[in-house]
Amino acid sequence: MRRLLGVELTRFRWRRAILVLLLLAIVVPAVIAASRIWATRPVSQADLDRATEMASSEIQQCLDHPRRYGVPRAAAQTQCETTIVGWYTGREPLSMAGERGGSGIGVVAVLTTLLLLAGTTFVGHDWNSGSMSNQLLFESRRGRVWAAKALAVTLVSLVLAALVSAVYWLTIWAAMQVRDLPTLDGALTDSMAYGLRGALFAAAAALGGYALTMLLRSTVATVGVLFGVSVAGGIVIAVVGLSGRWQPDLNIAAIVDNGTTYWVEVPESCFIGDRAEREPAPGSECDQRRDLSAWEGIGYYGVPLVATAGASVASFRRRDVP
Amino acid sequence: MSDLVIETSGLRKEFRSRRGVRIAVHDLDLAVPAGGVHGFLGPNGSGKTTTIRMLLGLAHATAGTMRLFGEPVPRRLPAVIDRIGAVVENPKFAPHFTGRQNLTLLARTIGASADRVEEAVATVGLTGRDGDRYKSYSLGMKQRLAIAATLLKRPALLILDEPTNGLDPAGIREIRDTIRQLGESGVTVLLSSHILAEVQQVCTSATIIGNGRLLASGRVEDLLGTSTAYRVGVPDPAAARAVLDGAGFTLRDGSDLLVETDRPAAVTEALGNAGVWLCELTPVRPDLETVFLELTAGDQLGGAA
Repeated sequence: MRRLLGVELTRFRWRRAILVLLLLAIVVPAVIAASRIWATRPVSQADLDRATEMASSEIQQCLDHPRRYGVPRAAAQTQCETTIVGWYTGREPLSMAGERGGSGIGVVAVLTTLLLLAGTTFVGHDWNSGSMSNQLLFESRRGRVWAAKALAVTLVSLVLAALVSAVYWLTIWAAMQVRDLPTLDGALTDSMAYGLRGALFAAAAALGGYALTMLLRSTVATVGVLFGVSVAGGIVIAVVGLSGRWQPDLNIAAIVDNGTTYWVEVPESCFIGDRAEREPAPGSECDQRRDLSAWEGIGYYGVPLVATAGASVASFRRRDVP
Repeated sequence: MSDLVIETSGLRKEFRSRRGVRIAVHDLDLAVPAGGVHGFLGPNGSGKTTTIRMLLGLAHATAGTMRLFGEPVPRRLPAVIDRIGAVVENPKFAPHFTGRQNLTLLARTIGASADRVEEAVATVGLTGRDGDRYKSYSLGMKQRLAIAATLLKRPALLILDEPTNGLDPAGIREIRDTIRQLGESGVTVLLSSHILAEVQQVCTSATIIGNGRLLASGRVEDLLGTSTAYRVGVPDPAAARAVLDGAGFTLRDGSDLLVETDRPAAVTEALGNAGVWLCELTPVRPDLETVFLELTAGDQLGGAA
């Protein structure tokens, strides 16, 4: 098995299309990190001067009609400029928690998409070229072949995604240190754990892409099916009106954030009489807030993944190989 | 243990589709003895490749049993696959990898050394081109690479499906010589080919199938039969025909004057006595092509290749 795994890792390494996808999985998060560091840079005196110049007419209007801008007339002279220039230079300072809720999920999405494509492309090429049959002439135990390829895809994806995530969060943390921004205790550890969960999710997606391609025997068919499922799934969720519990993005957030919260509609009676006055008990009929645990998210994606992998193995073992 | 390297009994393969069931291999009993080169002949769609694919575990049999080296397959295929080299239909390799990369991956799968790759490349004459991408290879080079892949295992059984497809005459000769040498060295070769002259030259035994059924099997000499005819060349064929007919010889219909006999001297004597002088008296032995065409005359293109 170790020998087969070595062969599959070599095959993975020699595929140019795979290398391009893996390179993108490094470059795109790097670009996201750079853009976030740039977008949250401290406001310089030059920025303030430029904003003051750009907003000069608006500052004048504020001075003429301070109440329109929510500024007391007595303080107009000092507050108008501060308020309006603040609008033009308003930048959220960099924070680990803020990035976890924003760009962090973007990095997970990028890694997931690219590694899923890598898993699909890796084995789609074997089917497309017909070389799968040649491989089986050298190792006829199909279960082993399936497992070795799956292991190679998952391992490479996990290692790469974990490294990229780690570097991403270390970069954000280092930028905060350079800017002397305060960091909460355990912020880096939490972000690293977030990154690791994201990496595990991306590796699972790569495994899913691989398993589906082994089932359908075509990269194009796999991408088509995934696209169709995402479109049709979105339509079904919208038409049937399923709650946030069934939203794909919310379940991803639940996994990588180790649980998340969503809001649901409650009966109108909750807003009438005494019930409107009281704070609803957590989880009660009138509580709009719902928690979605990481395990529920894992179940949401894990069940189709296990089903696809099972069907893929069974199909590969039973069907004729062209 | 049986001295048969390949043995099938009642082997059957059905393909089901919306248009119904198509039987590609019909209760085939195949027996290939150890050693030598065994021809596996049949028209297009007769089920040769499907049979080979079932033997190698690439396709599942609908019914019947198969044995390789006495081991039941596909159940025990992993135990014998290391002793089997095979080229099935067209060579199939990763097009963006070089020939060497393709061979290296296969060699590593079975734990063969890099030297073995070197040796196989040299044996099939690909040295110097093994660093080129597979997709840039001519059909002949692809065939050579496929044969090189089979040699990585040092096989005891070699299954070759149309191995000379796309090769130039020199290449065909090289491969034919290689096959013959392998057969003589104790390797059992199952050679599926349409080039009957090639099969007749290198094979010691052969099986002929048509529409997935066994039509004939045995030593090539036995398949050709012992019947011998002689082509008679004379200035006046009509006169000669009358003389030989009158002397009790069996004559074959056709434009040539063919007489069936095992006594060519008697033909010479009869014609000479009648004053008909011979220009030619040539033995005409049946060849594999004739036997093949006679056996498969009723077959139509159809089943799986």
